Order: sequence, then C-alpha cells, then structure tokens
Amino acid sequence: MISKALVTDAAIIEGILQDDDAALSRLYKLYFSMVLFFVQSNSGTEDDAKDIFQEAVIVFYEKIKAGQLELNCQIKTYLYSICRRLWLKRLSRSSRFSHGMIEDTESELAPHVDAYAEQAEQNELKFEAMGNALGQLGEPCKTLLEDFYIRSMGMAEITEKFGYTNVDSAKNQKYKCLMRLKKLFFLDYQVPS
Amino acid sequence: MSERELLELIERYHQHQVTSSERRALEERMAADPIFAQRVREVELFTAALQNHGRQKSLRDRLNQHHQAWQQENQKETTPPVLKRRTPVQVFMRRYAATMGVAATVAIVTVFSSLLGMEMWRSATKQQTARYVELRREVDDLKRKQNALLNTNPVTPKASTLNPGQFSGTGFVLTSDGYFVTSYHVIEGADSLMIENKNGTKLKVEEIYSDQVRDLALLRVTDTSFTGFGKLPYSFKQKESELGERVFTLGFPREDVVFGEGTLSSKSGVYGDTASYQISIPLNPGNSGGPLLDDRGNMIGVISGKMLGVDGAAFAVKSAYLLTLLDQLPEHRLPKPISLPKVNNLAGTPRPQQLKKLQDFVYMVKVYN
Repeated sequence: MISKALVTDAAIIEGILQDDDAALSRLYKLYFSMVLFFVQSNSGTEDDAKDIFQEAVIVFYEKIKAGQLELNCQIKTYLYSICRRLWLKRLSRSSRFSHGMIEDTESELAPHVDAYAEQAEQNELKFEAMGNALGQLGEPCKTLLEDFYIRSMGMAEITEKFGYTNVDSAKNQKYKCLMRLKKLFFLDYQVPS
Repeated sequence: MSERELLELIERYHQHQVTSSERRALEERMAADPIFAQRVREVELFTAALQNHGRQKSLRDRLNQHHQAWQQENQKETTPPVLKRRTPVQVFMRRYAATMGVAATVAIVTVFSSLLGMEMWRSATKQQTARYVELRREVDDLKRKQNALLNTNPVTPKASTLNPGQFSGTGFVLTSDGYFVTSYHVIEGADSLMIENKNGTKLKVEEIYSDQVRDLALLRVTDTSFTGFGKLPYSFKQKESELGERVFTLGFPREDVVFGEGTLSSKSGVYGDTASYQISIPLNPGNSGGPLLDDRGNMIGVISGKMLGVDGAAFAVKSAYLLTLLDQLPEHRLPKPISLPKVNNLAGTPRPQQLKKLQDFVYMVKVYN
C-alpha cells in the first residue's frame, strides 16, 4: 500500500517537472474530493474548496518547479494539511465564533504547514494585486507588457505588432507602462515585512 | 544614461545579456551604492512577480480546466449533497439517531418483557386459584407447636414427645384382621408407616399394594402385639350413591379427629373424572385417605383432595373402585385373603352414636421418610 502510494507520488512529481498535464489531472482526481469533503463538512461550498485546493496546488507546483520541495510525507497528507490550515484560517477570519485561534492537532507537520499556508496566501494576494494592476493599466499597455515579459517576445516583434515607428519608441512606451504598473501594483500590495 | 536605458540595462543584467565590461561597471556601482543595489533587486523582484503572474495564470487556467473535467465526472455524486440543505429535523435525526435507536430498543425490550412477565404471573396465579391439591398434611414443627398452643384439647404428652413423622393423612380399617386403606399420595415415598387412632393406640403397618391412578393404597398391620380391630360397624357400598345424599367423614387434619359433613354434589370428580365424587365437605390437609360414609353408615368413598380457589369442592374416590381394586389383586400379593364386612351396624342410629362407633376404626397415618 505504502509503496504504491510512494510510486504514485513520485510519478506525479516527475510529471510536474516535465510539464505533463496528466500529472495535474491526476492530482485533481486523487485529492480534490478529499479537500471538498473537508471543506463541505466545515460549512464551505464547492467553490471554496476549489479555491483552497488550487492555492495549495500552485504552491506545491511552484515548489517542485523550483526544486525546493521538502516532502517528508505523502502528497495526500501534505495537500490535505495545507488545505485544512488554509480553510481554517479563512474561516476564523470570517467567523464570529472563533477569535483567530486555530488549534492544530496535527502538530507534527505544523511548522511546515504554517509556512506553506502563509506562502500560499501571500502568493494569492500577489496574484490578485498583479491581476488588478494589469486590469487597471488598460490597453495596449497590458498586452505590451505581457508580450514582453510573459510571452518573451522581442522588442522588434512588438514594434511591428503595435505599429510603432521604431524600436526606440516601443521601448519608451514599455518603460512608461512598466512604471505605471509598478505604481498600481504597490498601491494594492504590501510587501510582507 | 536615461532612467529607461538604465532599466533596460538592469533587465539585461538579470537576463545575463550584458557584456563583461557593463557587468563589471554595474557590480562596482552596486557595491559602492547600496540604494542602487536595492533598486536593482527591486527591479528583479518586480519582473519576477510579473512573469510569475503570467505563469500562474496559465497554471490556473489549466487547473480550472481540470476542475471542470472533475466536475463533469462527479456531477451526479457531488451536486445533490451540496444543494440539499439539512433541515433542523434532519440535523437532529443525524445527531441522535443512534441514541434514539438504543433507547427505542431498550423501551421495546422493557415493554415486551414486562408484558410477558405480567402474563406469566397472571397465568401462574390463575393456576394457583383453581388447583387440585392432595390433602396430605406436611407436619412441620412450627405448625405443630401452634396447634399445641391453640388446641383446647392438646394431644397426649406421650404422643407429642415422639417423632410426629413428616407427613400425615387419614386411613380406615378395611377388615378386622388388619387390612387398612388410605390414599396413595399419603404414603408416597414412605420409609415406614405408623397408624395412630384417637385413643393413642399405635400400630406399625406396611404397604401391600397401591394404585397410583386411583390414588388408593392397601396397607396391613404388621405389629406383633396386634390381635385384631374388632368387628367393623360399617359395610362397603358397591353401587354409586345418588346426588344430594348427605355424607360425612372423619379425619385427622390436626392431632385430633375432626368430623366433617356435607352432601354429595357431583358424581364426577375433578376434570370430569368418573372414578370420583365431588362432595361439599370442608376439608383440610390431613383429611386425605379418610372414609366417606353416607347417612346409613355405608362406606361410599375415600377422600382424596380438593380444588383450591373453588368453594366447597372436595373429592373422594368411589368405593366401587376400591372394591374392584381388591377383586383384581393377585392372590399371591396378599398374605391373607380379604373378607369384607357384610353387616352394617350404623344404619338407623343417630349421628353421634355412629361417630362413637366409627372413631375406633379411623386412624391417623404417619409417614416417615
């Protein structure tokens, strides 16, 4: 049983490293119902479960990609405890019953889990702030920045696509857009001290 | 160098697309100027954040696709519980169903067992209220002492010092040469038997023959000092007696002889037993085996028992059965042939005279075991 689980875990990690979509699909199939059950039995909805699960998976995914994952238990346990912690945090924030106190009984994992949950939340905030900033930035700045930084297009290509007279004016435009985005982003997002 | 060009330079630096001279210049400046170094780092972080955003967006899209796929797969199973909100009643049931189940089981078991118990108790008491009992007297010390205290005519001191036996009944003389009759249930399981009459005469007897079905026992005196009972005043009636005939008995429900009188109320006994009469004489334990006589002094039956809980219903085995029993007895079982008395001395005399003559032939049967 244990060896089988380990094999599964190893296969998933390998799949993620190789950008295999099936690995994500597998992750979803294997573990989402567990999180869904937990969230639903603790006064949440399916959408809440989805958000929580995705937050956890993103941190997990990025940690694997960055090679920073220290997995000292099964993926199942890891994901479950992170989701649990995230959901309890979210509940305690919105709840009138609890006063920000979360008793974690799974103390063995607690320090890691806390850090991961924190990271997942920060990541979520950053993602949201960036999304908002990009939205407020408007066109064509948004597409321009996305093309350059995310889709890694060359400046010459961008000049052509946006119809600028020369590369220099495109670069100028890009610089202005980036400055505005920076401003907007830091309006919304506080770098954690 | 404009700000824009500086930024581009820094970006290129992070992408490792700078010439070695440019790199050296930048690194020197960073080392010298911490604020500039901070700015370089910030540019890197922000760029990373922007790129990260792009990556995460695509990842999120993929995850959403997987979610949709998952949703489609599990639609049927997951949606109903999500949509269904539990009513308070359901919540209550869910929480307490097990407890209620246990409570209901206990209640059911209790109810049925108590009903069953009551029913059994009732049937048991009912059985007790109308029950046929054999009137053999169990002699226990306490009863005897009470009798001694209450009795205006206490038994002779000599008699009471002797072992009274464990059971007692009544019996009567069958022939003057030593045959004697009582009920079978009186002597049942006896080791030794003694008979004792009102005068304190004690005789040792032994069982000759007994009939469990008709509840009759034939005894014979074995005492060496015994010479004979004398001439019997009563005779035995062969035919059945009629309803309403006045009948009486003598017996030993206590240490002294007791007379009882009544009428013959039915020609059949308990549960329609045609071998018995039903008689309306008040009887008590100890009366069993006593003779039942009619007005003219004919022996018509042997007292056997009564019905508990039914007023005035006592029973006696018909004399006809006693006689057929004697007829059927195999000869070799008898040490001496039985010759029944033919003459009746009691007819026509008043009751006290009859009793006076009769008393000497009615004995208390004491059973030792």
